[in-house]
Amino acid sequence: MFYKPKNALYKTISRRKFLELGGSAAVALGAGSIAVGLNSVITRRPVYAASSDDAKWKQYSGSKLVFMSENTPPSFAIKEKLKVFYDLTGIEVEILTDQLPTVQQKVGIDLRSGKSDFHLNYVQDKPIGSPFADYYADYTPYLTDDTLPQDPEGYGKDVWFENFLDACGHYYSSERLVALPYDAAVACTFYRQDLFEKYSKDFEKDHGYRMEFTADTTWKNLTEFTAFFKKLKESGTDVPYGYAQHHGSFAWTTQLDIQRMMFANGRWQDFSVDDKIGSKTPGPTNWGDKQSVLIMQKYKEHADVCHPDNLANGTIELNSVYQAGKVASQVQYHEFAASIEDEKTSAAAGGKTAYAPCPKGEASWIVNGGQAVNGTNCGIGGIGINGNASDDLKRAAYIFAIWSVSKDNQLEVLKGLGGTPTRKSVLAVPEVAAARKRPTTMPNALTFDAVYDLGIKDPHFVLGPKIPNTNEYHQIMATEAQKLVAGKQSAEECCNSIKAQLDDMHDV
Amino acid sequence: MTDQAINTGAGRPAVSPQAVVDAARPTGVRQIDYRPDAFNPAPSRRFYFLMMTPSIVLLAGISIYPFIWLIYMSLHTVGEAGQPDVWNDFKNFTRFATDGKFQNGWLLLIKYSAMCMVLEVGLGVLLAVILNRSKLEKFLVTIILMPMMMAPIIAGLVWLFLYNGAFGWYHWLLQSIGILGPTSVLGDSDIAMFGLVAVDVWQWTPLITLITLAGLKRVPQDQLEANMVDGAGPLRNFISVALPNIYPFLLIAVLLRFMDNFRFIDAILILTGGGPADATNMLPVYLFDVSFQYFKLGRGAAVALTLLLVTIVLGMVLVKLFEDPRRKIKVHGREEG
Repeated sequence: MFYKPKNALYKTISRRKFLELGGSAAVALGAGSIAVGLNSVITRRPVYAASSDDAKWKQYSGSKLVFMSENTPPSFAIKEKLKVFYDLTGIEVEILTDQLPTVQQKVGIDLRSGKSDFHLNYVQDKPIGSPFADYYADYTPYLTDDTLPQDPEGYGKDVWFENFLDACGHYYSSERLVALPYDAAVACTFYRQDLFEKYSKDFEKDHGYRMEFTADTTWKNLTEFTAFFKKLKESGTDVPYGYAQHHGSFAWTTQLDIQRMMFANGRWQDFSVDDKIGSKTPGPTNWGDKQSVLIMQKYKEHADVCHPDNLANGTIELNSVYQAGKVASQVQYHEFAASIEDEKTSAAAGGKTAYAPCPKGEASWIVNGGQAVNGTNCGIGGIGINGNASDDLKRAAYIFAIWSVSKDNQLEVLKGLGGTPTRKSVLAVPEVAAARKRPTTMPNALTFDAVYDLGIKDPHFVLGPKIPNTNEYHQIMATEAQKLVAGKQSAEECCNSIKAQLDDMHDV
Repeated sequence: MTDQAINTGAGRPAVSPQAVVDAARPTGVRQIDYRPDAFNPAPSRRFYFLMMTPSIVLLAGISIYPFIWLIYMSLHTVGEAGQPDVWNDFKNFTRFATDGKFQNGWLLLIKYSAMCMVLEVGLGVLLAVILNRSKLEKFLVTIILMPMMMAPIIAGLVWLFLYNGAFGWYHWLLQSIGILGPTSVLGDSDIAMFGLVAVDVWQWTPLITLITLAGLKRVPQDQLEANMVDGAGPLRNFISVALPNIYPFLLIAVLLRFMDNFRFIDAILILTGGGPADATNMLPVYLFDVSFQYFKLGRGAAVALTLLLVTIVLGMVLVKLFEDPRRKIKVHGREEG
């Protein structure tokens, strides 16, 4: 039935011999894989302060590094450009990307167990930076090391956007710098300008002011816009819901959603500590005070007029809902503008969407005597070096880190995949300045007015809380807020429950 | 056989076969013992122990050592990156009394397991009875088994799309027939649990069907026919004859599913992550959060230990039920436990 060669392998090798050979090969392959997989490679050529720049870049030629990162545009773009880095330095870099919660777990296990399987990590400020800050290498000595290549722009606070270096680089002390700003996700308002313009007159008849987003639009206004859309929809008009909040499965973004509203109204914060540096002993929380209870009541009132599937929508799902034309506005991270402006996948593309700062606090909602601001928060992703790695591996990792956050790289990522620059100099490029107006080839640049010119600046920017138990804190916040939105508890019960759990967590 | 006597007839003494062989052997010929155990003497206990040593060492390495380590961790605040572990006076256990998420996690786990078990056993047995000896039995069994072949995490992703409030087909279907309001299955804290149960039932009912089908093949046809002759209908026949015969099989299936449900996490993490509002935050999900989100390994070990102990105890109860002499049943005329 089948062709059988005369010298078939099974005829020339005995079964025993075959098993022996197979077994030996399996053992050799297994041992080899383990040896290669568990070992990084480091080779070093000595360099001196007077050495050429080329020698400094190439001093670790032949080495191999692993970078564990979130699946964000810069990482994909840099993955594509690794050949350029290899040609410059001779260092081979493997970039592993995954969803943030997975990155958090893998990186956490690596760092806390004293290992360095990942020499470079994506240090998302609160979920990764706050709990693991002590396990990262301090950049400070490398920044002034003249045997290492350095970025001509430098790394001071003034070269990055306001607050970015503090956001991802400093934890519990301003002495140690554990990450350089690599990418950014800053909140701003995305809204359907076409729908807002279409129904603005009807809205004005009822409320006496125009339905539009400006820097002075408050959370109270937004709740009224949302209620208006809901009323229209219930009367049979074919319109989307007005707004949707960030709940869903990722607790961190739920906490950020609540924080924006809380901070906007009187600059209220969870703990009475320095927001930008954070604290390992934050003390008793402010949850449960009058201001927090009042704003959570307003949060619930807003939730009641939002998209009915509010609790199922995490940040990514919410963006999909907006893309599908099911909500007329959302507060979203500016890195998502590229997906909104993609006509192939978004019903909100083609000039229908406009971008504005996050809503402002409402003066009549402030009982703590604070200021009404456009409460804006973020996720600033840094690139950090594993403190468990050897000195040479850390130095080699530093070379990659400064290359990855260079102006040229950030500009190319912005042009190519829709990156979110962290260096000010990128915005000064004429091409980028022009892209801030339609028509544009860099959709994320449409958000820059709202984000870089207003949102990230004081007094609007809120960063913390940076605390070691940040992930447990996020989960507590998200769960209690979801119970409030689901109608399982009152605003006061919600705030008191958060207070009890946070104080218990901090042994207060 | 060699030691058994052969009755050679009435009134004559019994002689052994070996005696017959000895009597027939010519004198002066060397006696060879042909018994099998003469060529293969029974190995000593030491030999058995030596042969088992690699397995015992392997088992100790992958099972007993982690178990002991788990107990150790549960009694300490585990230090990280070379920091010493600190004895904490059973704090990891005493905090259970005030830990609402731990208590809620148990309640939800029991609720989830009970719902899955009842539905899976009910549907699984029903499907098995329908499929048993049907014309297309082999083909239909192959089709029904397909969900079981899918990795739970993939099943979770598939159902996540099906439940999606914007474009999910099940969402649309359930809304169209009026079962679902404007909220999606996974976005409503009152029904999200049922959404998870549906996934489990979809994926694991085939296992119950398969095991029950194997049991149904052993139901003696003569008993069924005799019962029918006595006037029993199909339902009476199933309850009186088939069910007692498939009872041991069902117990195995229940034991397997029960242990699986107590450690199940994959699809839950994908579908709800324990939310909304803790509505699906079952104990395994909470354990995962404590250990790998908050990195409180001592506390996580204490949760894991309680989960393990309860699983073992409940497993033993089920096995005991399986062995209970009062529940012994007759299969093929013999008693089987």
